[in-house]
Amino acid sequence: MNNLSSMIDLADVRLTLPSDAGPVEILRGVDLSVAPGESIGLVGPSGSGKSTLMAIMAGLERPSAGDVVIAGQRLNDLDEDRLARFRRDHIGIVFQAFHLVPTMTALENVAIPLELAGRGDAFERAAEGLEAVGLGHRLTHYPSQLSGGEQQRTALARAVACSPRLLLADEPTGNLDGATGGHIVDLLFELRERAGTTLVLITHDPALAQRCQRIVAMRDGLIDRAAEAAE
Amino acid sequence: MTLPLSLRFALRELRGGVKGFRIFLLCLALGVAAIAGVGSLSAALVAGLSADGQRLLGGDVELRLTHRPPSDAQRAWLAANGMVSETIQMRAMARGPQMATTTKRALIELKAIDDLYPLYGAMKLDVAGSPQDLVARRDGRWGALVDPAVSRRLGLKTGDTLRIGEVDYEIRAEIEHEPDSGTSAFVLGPRVMVAGASMAETGLVQTGSMIRYYSRVMLPPTADLDGWIERLKQAFPDAGWRVRDVRNGAPGLRNFLERMRLFLTLVGLTALLVGGLGVGNAVKAYLDSRGRTIAILKCVGAPAGLVFRIYLTQVLLLASAGIAIGLLIGGLAPPVLSGLLRAYLPFDAAIGFYPLPLFMATVYGLLTALAFALWPLARAREVPAAALLRDVAAPSTTRPKPIFIAAVAAAFAVLAATAVLTAERTDFAAWFVLGAFATLLLFLAAGNAIVDLARRMKRPRRPDLRLALANLHRPGAPTLSIVLSFGLGLSVLVTVATLQGNLSAQVAERLPDQAPAFFFIDIQPQQVTPFEATARAVPGVGEIAKVPMLRGRIVALNGEAVDPKKVAPDARWALRGDRGLTYSGSPPEGTQIVKGEWWPADYAGEPLVSFDADIAAGLGVGIGDTLTVNVLGRELTARIANLRRIDWSTMGINFVLVFAPGLLEAAPHSFIATAQATIDAEVPLEVAVTDQFANITAIRVRDALATANRILDNISVAVRSTAAVTLVAGVLVLAGAIAAGHRRRVYDSVILKVLGATRADVLRTFLLEYALLGLVTAALAAVIGSLAAYVVVTQVMGAPWIWLPGTIAGTALLAMAITVGLGLIGTLAALSQRPAPLLRND
Repeated sequence: MNNLSSMIDLADVRLTLPSDAGPVEILRGVDLSVAPGESIGLVGPSGSGKSTLMAIMAGLERPSAGDVVIAGQRLNDLDEDRLARFRRDHIGIVFQAFHLVPTMTALENVAIPLELAGRGDAFERAAEGLEAVGLGHRLTHYPSQLSGGEQQRTALARAVACSPRLLLADEPTGNLDGATGGHIVDLLFELRERAGTTLVLITHDPALAQRCQRIVAMRDGLIDRAAEAAE
Repeated sequence: MTLPLSLRFALRELRGGVKGFRIFLLCLALGVAAIAGVGSLSAALVAGLSADGQRLLGGDVELRLTHRPPSDAQRAWLAANGMVSETIQMRAMARGPQMATTTKRALIELKAIDDLYPLYGAMKLDVAGSPQDLVARRDGRWGALVDPAVSRRLGLKTGDTLRIGEVDYEIRAEIEHEPDSGTSAFVLGPRVMVAGASMAETGLVQTGSMIRYYSRVMLPPTADLDGWIERLKQAFPDAGWRVRDVRNGAPGLRNFLERMRLFLTLVGLTALLVGGLGVGNAVKAYLDSRGRTIAILKCVGAPAGLVFRIYLTQVLLLASAGIAIGLLIGGLAPPVLSGLLRAYLPFDAAIGFYPLPLFMATVYGLLTALAFALWPLARAREVPAAALLRDVAAPSTTRPKPIFIAAVAAAFAVLAATAVLTAERTDFAAWFVLGAFATLLLFLAAGNAIVDLARRMKRPRRPDLRLALANLHRPGAPTLSIVLSFGLGLSVLVTVATLQGNLSAQVAERLPDQAPAFFFIDIQPQQVTPFEATARAVPGVGEIAKVPMLRGRIVALNGEAVDPKKVAPDARWALRGDRGLTYSGSPPEGTQIVKGEWWPADYAGEPLVSFDADIAAGLGVGIGDTLTVNVLGRELTARIANLRRIDWSTMGINFVLVFAPGLLEAAPHSFIATAQATIDAEVPLEVAVTDQFANITAIRVRDALATANRILDNISVAVRSTAAVTLVAGVLVLAGAIAAGHRRRVYDSVILKVLGATRADVLRTFLLEYALLGLVTAALAAVIGSLAAYVVVTQVMGAPWIWLPGTIAGTALLAMAITVGLGLIGTLAALSQRPAPLLRND
């Protein structure tokens, strides 16, 4: 898997969900290839299918049709538990709403994926990770005792704890003020560059998207090739 | 050592406290406490009974003969093989001193003692001295020891004269404690104790009189009980005595305790099941609130199996805590409750630690927690990780995977199997489990029907009623769980209340029309005609019925000894000791022959017998089979000619066995008679008969029924208390459901207030919702509870059903009051919320 030609390979990915008013086509045939170590900014209006596409890349959602290959592994073939383990080993996710476990401390939150991976040094590594995002003094705090920025830094530390090869970030600064958001983004890119991680960043912020090597635009469940070309 | 991952995660989650689990803990603790309490108390009572076995039995072995004392050879054998004490017991009339016109009299249980009584334990009297010294003849007068009730009823005191039969006894002391009393539940009169040597003078000892001769034997400490009894049987194979030993000294009491234990355990199990619904609700509510955490765990790589284990571990940890609380409370039942029971039982409970009932309660608690928690746990397992990205909650219709559905079914099956297989009466337990299951299904269907009906009903114009109705069927409405849990608890209460009401009503209301006023026993054959003449001479005396009576034991069927273990449990009582036998040319009045033919009135030929149809079915015999009874040590065999159905509830004279003429006439026997009389005629009738015939004993039916009623009342207190536990469990679940809907109520009330509703409007809306729910639940519980009671009364007890609308309505009103009351508390809390914080966008 070290000599992959692409980290993400999506071919004609479609997703149709049932609804009271009839089936809704959310993705209508997405083709996308992302090289290892590449960073892309995924942009598009609300409802264009960005988050759903990310869910499919993370194995959180199954496509109705099409192939999803991440880090050389065809996700279509994996059952739910194998998908969970695949995520644990290869994918880090940062959410707009942080999604920390409220009953666990910052340290424990970061340690979860390491513990799931059976690492004996889970807590040492988690502490180092929190140190790296500037939260070495907040290890035993619960999410409710942390500011929004601190919560997102904790989530970031958790996302990279297992050194994933693919980092997915869904509006990571959406719930934060400008200055705090900027700091988080700096941190995100710094961590990515240090490890050479592939990054998919969903954002509404054009300036933020510009920091990525490539911008992919979505519209109505499809990659907007015209917009991509214009970028 | 590192803890397993699931335990580590579970412990972390539980650090937040158990606030949402209070109802969970209470429900489980309550049910487990009920089962552990009933089990521990009955274990302590049985242990107490065993520890006191020799005292209660009055010896290591007790031999009882009816109608006749042991023979000289038997006495010699017993004396050579142990230390023997003989007592004679019978019912008799005691009278105060003769006054001008009236004499007070009382039915007594007479006991004549010998020099060695009691072999075990000690008599406690209000004066110093041995019982033998006190009952001995002094200055030509025999002495008597009396229960204080005798003195009270006859207005006598120590030193006064008490006439029994033909003897004037001097009351020498009052009995404070009789060591071997009270193992029989049905005692018709207070005790009087006299010297065995005085009995001959009383004139009570006559042929065929209902007299029991007890020989109590104390064995050397090294004696082998079984071997001793075996040698006794070999020495006197046809003696016909009833043998009891210290291991089964009070079988009636032991059986009664065992029945009560079984019944109360099953009621406790119902409480646990009702509580189980609360457990299920609490787990579901908790897991619903954990949806996000579960999705996060899955996002960062936790497999579904791990998620399941994490939350299963939490449930098991909490269940253990609830069970531990229940065990603590239940384990304390013997020391706390045995004091209360001392007044009703002739022995003390053996206070101690009884691990088996506690273990069983733990098993029941764990199985219940699992059975009810597995479903929500299995559903939580399926929460998609994608729930985090979009607002995808697990749809409420998500079904767990088949393996988990099977696991839930298995947990219920093991629960049912445990209840049935550990019960002494498996048939009874099985019916109970089936009934509980059917009731659960019925309530489930009813709850669904209510939700469906509320949904389909035309929207009322009144907004409060419309909202109340909508609240019954909106998604996530607690209607179903409230109807199920509260309805189930309430049904048990309605059943128990109606059953008890029916039993009391049978005795109090129905019987006086038909029941005789008196039973007269020990009438000698030559006294029959003068007795009847005397009785008829009393104004107000109605029909008099009389039949010959002997006592005998069924010992063989078709020539083979009967093994009680192979007999249907319902029929075992017919084999337990002596049964009354009679003979008659014509069928007893009201006889309903279900099979075979009655013999001609002048029948002479092969000995025939008419047998009770139900008992015959239980013993597995029918027309043409032979039946052997032991009467006065002789075995008599007759062929079954017909089967009768007997209605015992008429209180008339009836016998399981009625022989054709020719077999029993020669055996020594007495007559038994019943007499109907107006209330005013009762005392004159009793005086007339017992004055003229000192040996005849009058048993007033009214008093006997009062005694039966007292026993019934005492039992019903225990039953009702346990049934109340079921209702408390139901109320807990109800409270939990109302508490769970608190956020929704707060939000609704805020919106209503914003739209201009007054506090009174809001209050009315919610109260309507609870009143509707309470009304429907109460109505259902009334129907289902009455139905259950109806089945028990008419099918199990074979008694006619008495409709008790007051009892049912009372219970239903209680339900309404509880629902509305709890709803009111919840709503007032919701009303006090300030709207602004809830409306702010955050």
